[in-house]
Amino acid sequence: MRSTRPALGLGLGSIALLALTFLLTDLSAAQTPKRGGTLRVSYGNEIAHLDFHTAGGYEMMWVAMNVGCGLVNITPDGKFVGDVAESWQMSPDGLLYTFKLRKNALFHDGTQVDAAAVKFSIDRLMDPETKSGMRPFYAPVHSVEVIDPHTVQIRLKHPYAFFLHMLAGYRTGLVIYNPVATQKYTLQDRQQGKPEAVSGCGPFRLVEWVKGSHLVMDRFDKYFVPGLPYVDRVMIRVIKDPVTEMAAFKAGEIDFIASFSPEHVDTMKAQNPRARIMTGKETTPMMAAMKVTVPKDGIPMSVERAPHPIFGDLRVRKAIGCYGIDRKEIVKIAFKGQATPWVGMALPGTLESVNVNHLCPYDPAKAKAILAEVGYGPSKPLTFELLTNTEKSVFSVITTVIKEQMARIGVTANIRLVDKVSWLNSTLQDGPWDMYVEDLLSLLTIDSNGYLSTAYVSKNSSAWSHPRHTDTKVDDYYARYAREMDAGKRKALAKEFLEYMADKMYWNTISGSPFYMVAQPWVKGYVYNAEFEVHWDNVWLDK
Amino acid sequence: MKPRPISGGSLREAELPAVTGLARPAAGEARSETPLAQGLRRLRRSTTALVGVAIVLALIVVAIFADVLAPQSPIASDQTHTFERPSWDYPLGTDQLGRDMLSRVIHGSRISLLVGVSSVLLALFVGVPFGMIAGYYGGRTDTVIMRLMDLVLAFPIYLLAIILMVMFAPTAGLIGTIKVTGAIAIVRIPIYARLVRGSVLSIKEKEYIEACRALGVRDPWIIFRHVLPNCLAPIIVTTTLGIATSIIVEATLSFLGLGTQPPTPSWGWDLKANLAFIQDNAWLSLFPGLAIFVTVLGFNLFGDGLRDALDPRLK
Amino acid sequence: MRVYILRRLVQIVPTVLGITFVVFLMMRSIPGDPVVALLGDSYTQEDAVKAREVYGLNQPILVQYLIWLGKLLQGDWGASILTGRPVLQDVLVRLPVTLELIVLSMGVALVIAIPAAIIGALRQNTWADYTATTVAMIGVSIPEFFLGVLLLLAFSIGLGGVLPSSGWVYLPGTCPMMVCGVSLWGNMQHVLMPAFALGVGRAAILTRLLRASMLEVIRTEYVTTARAKGVTELKVVLKHALKNALIPTVTVMGLQVGFLIGGAIVVETLFAMPGLGTFGIDAIIARDYQQVQGFALLTAFAFVVINLVVDLSYTFLDPRIRYG
Repeated sequence: MRSTRPALGLGLGSIALLALTFLLTDLSAAQTPKRGGTLRVSYGNEIAHLDFHTAGGYEMMWVAMNVGCGLVNITPDGKFVGDVAESWQMSPDGLLYTFKLRKNALFHDGTQVDAAAVKFSIDRLMDPETKSGMRPFYAPVHSVEVIDPHTVQIRLKHPYAFFLHMLAGYRTGLVIYNPVATQKYTLQDRQQGKPEAVSGCGPFRLVEWVKGSHLVMDRFDKYFVPGLPYVDRVMIRVIKDPVTEMAAFKAGEIDFIASFSPEHVDTMKAQNPRARIMTGKETTPMMAAMKVTVPKDGIPMSVERAPHPIFGDLRVRKAIGCYGIDRKEIVKIAFKGQATPWVGMALPGTLESVNVNHLCPYDPAKAKAILAEVGYGPSKPLTFELLTNTEKSVFSVITTVIKEQMARIGVTANIRLVDKVSWLNSTLQDGPWDMYVEDLLSLLTIDSNGYLSTAYVSKNSSAWSHPRHTDTKVDDYYARYAREMDAGKRKALAKEFLEYMADKMYWNTISGSPFYMVAQPWVKGYVYNAEFEVHWDNVWLDK
Repeated sequence: MKPRPISGGSLREAELPAVTGLARPAAGEARSETPLAQGLRRLRRSTTALVGVAIVLALIVVAIFADVLAPQSPIASDQTHTFERPSWDYPLGTDQLGRDMLSRVIHGSRISLLVGVSSVLLALFVGVPFGMIAGYYGGRTDTVIMRLMDLVLAFPIYLLAIILMVMFAPTAGLIGTIKVTGAIAIVRIPIYARLVRGSVLSIKEKEYIEACRALGVRDPWIIFRHVLPNCLAPIIVTTTLGIATSIIVEATLSFLGLGTQPPTPSWGWDLKANLAFIQDNAWLSLFPGLAIFVTVLGFNLFGDGLRDALDPRLK
Repeated sequence: MRVYILRRLVQIVPTVLGITFVVFLMMRSIPGDPVVALLGDSYTQEDAVKAREVYGLNQPILVQYLIWLGKLLQGDWGASILTGRPVLQDVLVRLPVTLELIVLSMGVALVIAIPAAIIGALRQNTWADYTATTVAMIGVSIPEFFLGVLLLLAFSIGLGGVLPSSGWVYLPGTCPMMVCGVSLWGNMQHVLMPAFALGVGRAAILTRLLRASMLEVIRTEYVTTARAKGVTELKVVLKHALKNALIPTVTVMGLQVGFLIGGAIVVETLFAMPGLGTFGIDAIIARDYQQVQGFALLTAFAFVVINLVVDLSYTFLDPRIRYG
């Protein structure tokens, strides 16, 4: 008996050791990314076209982030990491940014990514002839200089606290264009997605785009981060209908859904309990914007403005937009509670955002009182038109609820539902509208909203500032905010600014517009950073 | 006999050859019965036709008395009762905004019937005169009018309706309904024009027409008094069947988002809007769809019965 | 005969021209400017004016049409304003899908209609006949999209998702792109429900017509003679009645193309198929003038050619018919 004990101990010990080894091996096996496979992505909307500098829409931007490369990227916690830039420095006066570039970065056609290419791209974006939507964000840039092939220096006109943010995550951020390919091929070639023309420096190279069918990108073997990307290919399909998307996801035909309909998240969870559903604090405002001025002489886009017959009066804007809308009810019905009722211009997920909800509590009695004060009442009822488009079904749900809420305070809102193009025409071209419901685009910083809410005072003003208010104090706030390099002072300024915007109701947010991405359990390595950074280079498929 | 290629439209309408008069009663039957009475008698005998009549009548009643029959308002949303399952309170459940589906379906009948009937009537009022003029006067007038009709017929029906609706810009309310009616009517006009023209051509050369002319009777009177009654039967049948087609077209346009706009209750729109929730709340899409189906079935059965009754030779 | 064919071929031109011109006019009467959608973020008044000049949108409509026509005659179908993509390329990519859908729908219709009509004609006024007629009536009264929804419910959502609810897998040899999902089985799975949804309505109409024509033929003398000779009922029907019923059937099939093309738009939208139907409606809503022109051209052409083929096929089906 005594002789068996050591054997027993040895046996048990070996088993324990073996088990431990297996456990560790298993864990490490799970940690080691597997190479290969096709990542099948689904979009809910079509890609506009593939000339990254001039196209709009997130669908295009997410392609640009993977086919192209920039100087820097931003992490979910707001830190900057280098993309093609290895390191960077800002001069003490905040006017000079020097970027040192990697030496091994190549475009897909083999051309080297160098300082000249960076200069070429930024100059191009700043050129009015290019008509890029990013151009207004480069307003603070004075010039770009090539110091040596791998060092580029950008000189600003004034200190700009969000320069790196802009390069990293405003819409497309900076996408570096290949000077050789850009000069060799035409705008049409790039727009329609000719692979040789869309020559970027990102981890994937464009293989084929057939609008209405698919977009395919393959691993770029000479990507400057060795070993990445893991997957061989990314294939993007457009499935507009969320129910169809869900069915395809459940059947395992799709691995990743970029921007999933919030209305169906619960069903998705129920059907796919192991799926990874990613979301964060909202960064996109759902708005009930009110038009503040109309062209004085009746000529659209005229710089001569007259107050809008209904919403030109601040009191009416406050009565309707501030006190008359029950934001909680809208969130409950339209988003099943999955959004944040919000008043401020900057959403909870936007950097340095401030909660100003206390400025606009739901108060129908007060709304009615103010309207009576202005002169509206049973003898002179207030009627206005509520415009929205068919891009998302949640818009028409919200407009219906607002209509109900207006009825409670004795106001008649007539709903006009149009398609996206008509809506664009009405709003961009200073057409007749009173209030519209839409979620415009997501905001990384308060500064990035300048394009959408500065005053309309000259021909150079943004056509996207739909309400067309003429209050230059807003422009002042933007300017001061952007140039304030001290974080503490800037945050105080943000609070003041956001309170001002809420007080004047130039920008009427109802709630955040939640953003969801869904991944199959075997999709690993994806880092969620809202709409701003969608990168598939770190993704690998565990199957 | 080489079949005349009449393009477009539902087969039922194209199938009808020019009818040269209501069917003569079969030998041996009482001659004192008017053709109309005979028709009615035949109609009464056919079960399917009677079912059709019953459905159509029921629909008309529902549409007229929608306000009384519907338990709730079709556009009042109740956020505490969204997505209710069918129950005693909400026989067909409620939708995303808490609106009672039964009330919406009942009110939806108004739009469907309104658009269905008025679009066909509009097509009639425009198409019949065109056809008469073309057939009677012949020559260049005929060619011009028929070329125009051919052009419209050359379009696949939905394509033309879709483009027209995008042109008119779909809106809600009465104006929106008028636009949909107009679009559908435009697409249907050539069918009636052709029908009437064919009829006119076949009796134009008849002797009594010549006689009238010789007597100095004015042309429009001739057309009205002699030609029109002979087209009556096929026009009635085509109209009834045409209403069925119009209802389907209106529902399809609404399904594509180009027809009646919210908040006006529309079967096609409701079907499409609730398709998103078909996994858990399938009935929300099913009931509007069933409503469309039953309505169209009713008109088709009725129209078929009418055709059999008015001209059994076509059976 | 040859003169007739030639004359008909020549007649195609003004018809197609007429249709495309009308579409041209209508598209430009739609409120809403594609230039706005094109410029998007960077929209400014001046850029809009410049863009309109570049794309020739500021010229009189007739001039624009003639320019389009001129390019067309050189084989250039133009390029989309919004994406820069050549229209012909896009159309050719979508064509196989819609073509397959329409052909298979007709197939479904025939497969349902022929047996139903035979039963109806042989067993006239029996319960089998009434059943067939009733089913036909139901089929003609269901809108295609509702039938599609029912099929989706039954086979995609129910029954464990036996059939896929959307998308497309190409038949081997029909995919003009570089990256294709190609598989016969996959293709069959994807096309089954749409073809059925589209075909059932046509089946109903065909059944009715076939049955009536066959009844007519059965009553004629030579069939009675054949019967007298001892030929069996079924053989009589198949050999004589069916063959002679083909003429009106072919006519009807030709007429149905109009409905099929329209129905394809709806069915393709419902089942998210990458065909010409979704192409057309997306283009119309996006006000992509060039794409709509391409779509209209193809549709009109197909329509007119099919009518011609139908008319000509009579000469083969019934040797007595000759065109002078």
